[in-house]
Amino acid sequence: MARHMRRKKHYAFSTEGEANSIDYKNVELLGEFVTETGKIVPSRITGTSAKNQRQITNAIKRSRYIALMPFCDAHE
Amino acid sequence: MRHYEIVFLVHPDQSSQVPAMIDRYRASIEGASGTIHRLEDWGRRHLAYPIKKLQKAHYVLMNIECDQATLEELESSFRFNDAVLRSMTLIKKAAVTEASVIASETAEATQVAEKAAAERSAAEAAEKAKEAASKEVATDSE
Repeated sequence: MARHMRRKKHYAFSTEGEANSIDYKNVELLGEFVTETGKIVPSRITGTSAKNQRQITNAIKRSRYIALMPFCDAHE
Repeated sequence: MRHYEIVFLVHPDQSSQVPAMIDRYRASIEGASGTIHRLEDWGRRHLAYPIKKLQKAHYVLMNIECDQATLEELESSFRFNDAVLRSMTLIKKAAVTEASVIASETAEATQVAEKAAAERSAAEAAEKAKEAASKEVATDSE
């Protein structure tokens, strides 16, 4: 067996309610998919599906534009 | 007619103008037989990074249904209004009417703040009453 075979992590989204939807206004949820420095974490680390990852990246970028989320930690 | 979601940031010093601005936008949208499905005033929020050396801005969210010409008019009014720091327009598939996450959060925060203020004033009143009572006792003993 390959030594580095690891079961892929899977991130489960609860689909009900606006509080759980992937949206640029939902900063709390999006915060789980960025590093402390504000970079978007790849799906191979977080285990999100490709479809969700696309929505997350779009939402984070929108959120950054209207200054709800930072682009990096070196602002100011 | 299409559905749009608009967020715009107003200069914090001009936040007293926000109701007037909203009225003007509402007039121009409804004048062109459009509708405002959701209108939220998030108030002054802390920015994640400074814009034009400002740390805070007044956020307003609108979900509207209007035609192309009205939207263009709105966007140009954002562009030529110095009080508007930034704006974002998104196309939506349907009307959204329920309160957004941020709006409910800010409502909760204001509720908590009001409660805390009420408690503080009540405590102060109680303390004052106590002081007055102790003074009275002191004068009595004299």
